[in-house]
Amino acid sequence: MASVLLDRVFKTYPGGFTAVKGVSFAVPDGGFCVLVGPSGCGKSTLLRMIAGLETISDGAISIGDRVVNKVEPMDRDIAMVFQNYALYPHMSVYDNMAYGLRNLKTPEPEIRARVSEAAKILELDDDMLKRKPRQLSGGQRQRVAMGRAIVRKPAVFLFDEPLSNLDAKLRVQMRIEIRKLQRRLKTTSIYVTHDQLEAMTLADMLVVMNAGRVEQVGAPLELYERPASVFVAGFLGSPPMNFLDGIVEKPGRVRLTGGGELAYDAAHFGPPLGAEVKAGVRPERVTFSNDGSGLPFALELVEELGLGQLVHGRVAGGDFTVALPASHNAPSGEAQHLAIPADAVHLFDTKTGARL
Amino acid sequence: MEKRATFSNKFLPYLLVAPQLAITLIFFYWPASQAVKESFFIQDAFGTTSSFVGLENYRTLFADPYYFHSMGVTAVFAIAVTAASLSIALLLAVQADRGIRGKMAYQTLLVWPYAVAPAVAGVIWIFLFQPSLGYFAHLVRALGVDWNPLLDGNQAMTLVVIAAMWKQISYNFLFFLAGLQAIPKSLIEAAAIDGARPTRRFWTIVFPLLSPTTFFLVVVNIVYVFFDTLGLIDAVTGGGPAKATETLVYKVFQDGKLGGDLGGSNAQSVILMIIVIVLTSIQFRYVERKVTY
Repeated sequence: MASVLLDRVFKTYPGGFTAVKGVSFAVPDGGFCVLVGPSGCGKSTLLRMIAGLETISDGAISIGDRVVNKVEPMDRDIAMVFQNYALYPHMSVYDNMAYGLRNLKTPEPEIRARVSEAAKILELDDDMLKRKPRQLSGGQRQRVAMGRAIVRKPAVFLFDEPLSNLDAKLRVQMRIEIRKLQRRLKTTSIYVTHDQLEAMTLADMLVVMNAGRVEQVGAPLELYERPASVFVAGFLGSPPMNFLDGIVEKPGRVRLTGGGELAYDAAHFGPPLGAEVKAGVRPERVTFSNDGSGLPFALELVEELGLGQLVHGRVAGGDFTVALPASHNAPSGEAQHLAIPADAVHLFDTKTGARL
Repeated sequence: MEKRATFSNKFLPYLLVAPQLAITLIFFYWPASQAVKESFFIQDAFGTTSSFVGLENYRTLFADPYYFHSMGVTAVFAIAVTAASLSIALLLAVQADRGIRGKMAYQTLLVWPYAVAPAVAGVIWIFLFQPSLGYFAHLVRALGVDWNPLLDGNQAMTLVVIAAMWKQISYNFLFFLAGLQAIPKSLIEAAAIDGARPTRRFWTIVFPLLSPTTFFLVVVNIVYVFFDTLGLIDAVTGGGPAKATETLVYKVFQDGKLGGDLGGSNAQSVILMIIVIVLTSIQFRYVERKVTY
């Protein structure tokens, strides 16, 4: 058990490319931190730096009270689950799980006890322990990889996109299992993914990264409801947030560049008058008005999801999606009008992307 | 599932494999069958007549103490060359795989010796170890060894082993390097996190995962030592001194080509053929089962 602290961490490769640009955040003891961002944002590099597989160019990483910049991976008291599981193909499942303990010269009876304990938690039976990794399915391999991590009882678990090689159904199942396991073991965990849904559901603490920098840190719902930048707003949520360009005309009102007006909550946003803004609206906060008032919406396509409907169309010259719950009927006819409540509108600075 | 080609014409597939079949039949099976046939005959001294003698050639061979001596020499030679060339090649490949500076140049240079003809390689080593002029011979003498491979059988053996091994290292190196590069990096990283230090990582993860490559190379190297070292031995020692470096294949050449005993030489070839077939099939049947994972 330990907290993890990153203090202005940089990673610059010999070629001059800087993958991580001054990242700082702290994961509390027992917390589940998810690093999320598009591919190439530096999240995997950062995880590998915490693991000790990449050197740290500048800044400091601490696990517990100890700065680990110069500590070998094996001495950092961590365990890592890799994207391709990295199971040793020539060893049985049992030997895979026992390998780390054997390296520590743990007595064989204790190894047996700890492996069977882990196997029980992960529902791996004795027959499976005797098999080689290639004789297991993707989900079972994933479990063995987790088993290998938990037998060592490390202070920190590191997960590098562990679910991305699984099919969609199994991914959801394993996601729940990982969360339950972490709740049970209360081991500090850092988890890397590019899947925002996985990130939202797993995290206590979400770190959204973009181009080597941290965009925002916080609880998943906090980030969802109060995104600090256009990037975070657009990255979290599926379908993503809609954006409309406009100019602040008077307090509480934005004139859209493509025509029409939008009301916002002037108690929460205080942009200067005449400022160029991006107005963000979550698809699920929008409904269709029955009386012909509101922003004109040109309907193009309705996607039926069962759980609800996605209505795609155009508003003020840009793409716009409305998510309707299953109880609502999708409107018929091309010309529609949108009812957008003022408190559903987020305003961001067009130039900097920051929340206003 | 393997995708199979289908042909509308019945004869086309046979026509397509015909060149390969013809080469195999003419250059492999025909000489081999000739050897088997000739091994039952004795030729007169002028090569004009030959008479059927049944197993007489084989009987003479197995009564010849030199033949068994030659088997022993071959065994020592094969084991020494294979073991030494594989371990040195593996060491070099592991170094190259670490991503040292100038990796490409290093790899290219290491591959060159493979392109050198056996006899030429032999000549190079003769010069280096030539008792009165050779540079290495000079060094060895400086260490207090009375170096003279022309008189000392063990020294002659050492010399041919070094020369044969030197050529084989390049080939083994290439395969080991490819094998090392095929091992996913994440496995090594997982082992590093799992607390294995580099040496332990090598013996518990890398070496077992290389075993298919190692197995393949053992077979190839043994076959190389059995057959392809003829030119080298001929150039370096000529089988001497006192038959100390006379391997089976060299004895075939010696007795048949130089000694004119075609029947006896063919009998030796047949036995050599059987030995290699047996060795290879044992290796494939029993060893390969253990190296797949």
